[in-house]
Amino acid sequence: MNMDPTSTSFPAPHGAAAAAAAPGHAAHGDPSAHAPQPSGWPLLLAFGIGLFATSFFLLASGYHVMPLFYLSALICVLIPALGWATTIARERHHQDPVYTYKILRRGFFYFLLSEGAIFGSFFAHNIYLRYAHAKTWPPVGAPYLNPHLAAIGTLLLVFSSFTYHWCHQAFLKGKKALAKNWLLATIGLGIIFLGIQGYDWGTLKAFDKFTYQHGAFGSEFYWMTGFHGLHVCVGLLFLSLVYYRMETNQIDQTYNFSLTAAEYYWHFVDIVWVFLFFVIYLL
Amino acid sequence: MSTAEAAVAPAPAPQAYSGLMDWLTTTDHKKIGLLYLMFAFVNAWAGGLFAGVVRLRLWSPNSSFISPHLYNEMLTMHATVMIFMVIMPAFVGLGNYFVPIMIGARDMAFPKLNAFGFWMMIPPALMMYASFFTVHGSARGGWWSYPPLSGPQFSPGAGESLWCLAIILMGIASIMGAVNFLVTIADMRAPGMGWMDLPLFVWSNIITAWLLLLAVPVLSGVLVMLLSDRMFGTGFFQPGLGGDPLLYQHLFWFFGHPEVYIMILPAFGIMSHVVPAFSRKRLFGYKGMVLALASIGVLGFMVWAHHMFTSGISPQAQIFFSTTSLLIGVPTGVKVYSWLASAWGGTIDFTPAMKFAFGFIALFVIGGLSGVMLAVVPFDIAVHDSYFVVAHLHFVLFGGSVMGLMAGIYYWFPKMTGRLLSEKLANWHFWLFFIGFIWVFMPMHWLGFEGMPRRVAFYRPQFEPLNRFISAGFLLLLAGGIIFTYNVVHSLRKGERTSDPDPWGVNDVQQSLEWTTATPPKPWNFDEEPEFVPAHD
Ligand code: HEM
Ligand SMILES: [Cu+2]
Repeated sequence: MNMDPTSTSFPAPHGAAAAAAAPGHAAHGDPSAHAPQPSGWPLLLAFGIGLFATSFFLLASGYHVMPLFYLSALICVLIPALGWATTIARERHHQDPVYTYKILRRGFFYFLLSEGAIFGSFFAHNIYLRYAHAKTWPPVGAPYLNPHLAAIGTLLLVFSSFTYHWCHQAFLKGKKALAKNWLLATIGLGIIFLGIQGYDWGTLKAFDKFTYQHGAFGSEFYWMTGFHGLHVCVGLLFLSLVYYRMETNQIDQTYNFSLTAAEYYWHFVDIVWVFLFFVIYLL
Repeated sequence: MSTAEAAVAPAPAPQAYSGLMDWLTTTDHKKIGLLYLMFAFVNAWAGGLFAGVVRLRLWSPNSSFISPHLYNEMLTMHATVMIFMVIMPAFVGLGNYFVPIMIGARDMAFPKLNAFGFWMMIPPALMMYASFFTVHGSARGGWWSYPPLSGPQFSPGAGESLWCLAIILMGIASIMGAVNFLVTIADMRAPGMGWMDLPLFVWSNIITAWLLLLAVPVLSGVLVMLLSDRMFGTGFFQPGLGGDPLLYQHLFWFFGHPEVYIMILPAFGIMSHVVPAFSRKRLFGYKGMVLALASIGVLGFMVWAHHMFTSGISPQAQIFFSTTSLLIGVPTGVKVYSWLASAWGGTIDFTPAMKFAFGFIALFVIGGLSGVMLAVVPFDIAVHDSYFVVAHLHFVLFGGSVMGLMAGIYYWFPKMTGRLLSEKLANWHFWLFFIGFIWVFMPMHWLGFEGMPRRVAFYRPQFEPLNRFISAGFLLLLAGGIIFTYNVVHSLRKGERTSDPDPWGVNDVQQSLEWTTATPPKPWNFDEEPEFVPAHD
């Protein structure tokens, strides 16, 4: 089923000459990078997500459906996702690595911008209530959010951005063992951060009886830290995947987009947290 | 649409499947574009049906045709379907089809993600329709879905929650699509093609994609909060719990106004192709048009509270948002003048596409003017939430977006399918739509001035004659829709064939790469990577 990539490219001299004549567009690259192979995974993943959302909906609405249903919905998401990922990994050898890296990086960056906009809506919510309802903010009975512990978490998370950066650098220089160590350190710091947040949630719930149903204040606190925590979890999965790919030699000096993507993602999670810490715990 | 026969060397596409499986697994941007268009087409009939039911109920002041409850469902679903499941996907479809061709690329940057974006529309659409069959029926809080009306207290049941969930899921699809467009245009232009060589349809898609990328996530965020208020008892927008419904309005319209530009900018792009093409002249003022698009994109994020002049915002805010809204009329005017100047003195060829383009100019200008009137605070206070606003939004969305969309479809149909549409039927379609549109929506200005509130199933008896007049006019639009449907379905199977790369003979004034490749285009668009020779200035 795989095509011979050379038979599908635009005539090389033409493209090469034109690219050379037009600096700035040189990166147009080998067009065979875009041999769109048919694939059933996108459709299956979309329907899997639809099923998953429906089952989440039923669960949250208190309908009693067989647990098997939720499990199968999850499987309907996971199998296409894995299938898709393996297809990409298989196809990449037919593509120009520099060019592919470039478009993936840009795409991922734009995606993170939109993620930032989602967080932005929560920040806007918090700041609006804080200033428009200044007389009643924080509301009576709201617990004191202790910044000391969260500050330690913040420091660790910020530090983990550095450790990941060092991991990336080491890997690019070919020092794989060192890279792996830095990566493990990053994952460790991320887990400690999550632990600290979990402890914070636990004490707030146990001692202050503070939950997400505690009015808008509680809703914001739990949703913002929770949504961020979800991103940390995804980030940790991402990092573990990178570790796995290092371990199994699936990435090297040429094909390492997952390394960069994880770096962007991890820095993003980190920056968002710094804002969150400032807005929620300090302001 | 048999692209298989066109698949000859040297650019054979890997066609592993055929028939239905081919459509289900395709990653070809053109097929995905067609899928989007078909999706929009089917939903347009549903959305139109809902509008018909609304108009039937409004036949008399206190009709017993359907309950007020069902009326609210119909009104909500009409707007939701038309906005999120017709106009947006239809333009994404045309963009999908033509943007890669116009920049000389073989496909989108991420073909599988592109397919995913389309298929991601289906489950939420099913959810939306399925919500009719839940205990309390579908959502009925309007497409704006303001709490507290849309909150747990006043909208119990699954309908409203499913609405939120469906819109969040469609948002994912939109964001993926926007990323894909932006990367494609930034990194895959043909050698020699600079930013200021891009055809305006491509530019309009760039600005639209930026609006989608930055506005849609805010809608997702705000609907996550609303859903959480409904399902988990949080208090984001519940006054009793320290939340603020006004804040919902701010966040919603921060998305909502860019959203209306998401629905009109692609039509602007189409206009900038169709008008010069059938005036046999070059477009007037290319650079100004790009600048106008970009400034509309930026200003579009700074006008949102003009939807909230009567919601209780400070006078300073009113002045600020009124000023920015009036300002946005300037680049909009620039665009209209450019189309007029492009047509001026040209040899005008009244093809159906051109008729729709002129229809667009006539109707959109009226809608723009009523928009400028609404941007003036005292005027808005008088007519807010009246039928005047309904008139405004339909002049820009039907008179603008839909007429522009139709111009695009008549213009590119032969290119996409290799078949010609019947011109006679197309003319019938145009005149039915144009006259029907004015018949239906022009009197709504009067109703608004007279004080008939929008969004309500009842009205005062003195409005009955005009309402009957309007409801009768709906039949013209219906007839237009039927003729259009017949024309498309019939031509797809029996229409006259064409394989002329440039069936309208417009490439000399157009400089848009779709007219240089086969009709219909081969799976990978071009046999050889097109070289682009800039001609603007
Ligand atoms: C010249 C630029 C425009 C200005 C100054 C403008 C101004 C306004 C204002 C002030 C309102 C709020 C009226 C009220 O609720 O009291 C409004 C409503 C609306 N406008 Fe515009 N508008 C413009 C162009 C457009 C365009 C191009 C579109 C879409 C293609 C559009 C779509 C809408 C819609 C859908 C609503 C109703 C929203 C709702 O309440 O459901 N407008 N416009
Ligand atoms: Cu607006």
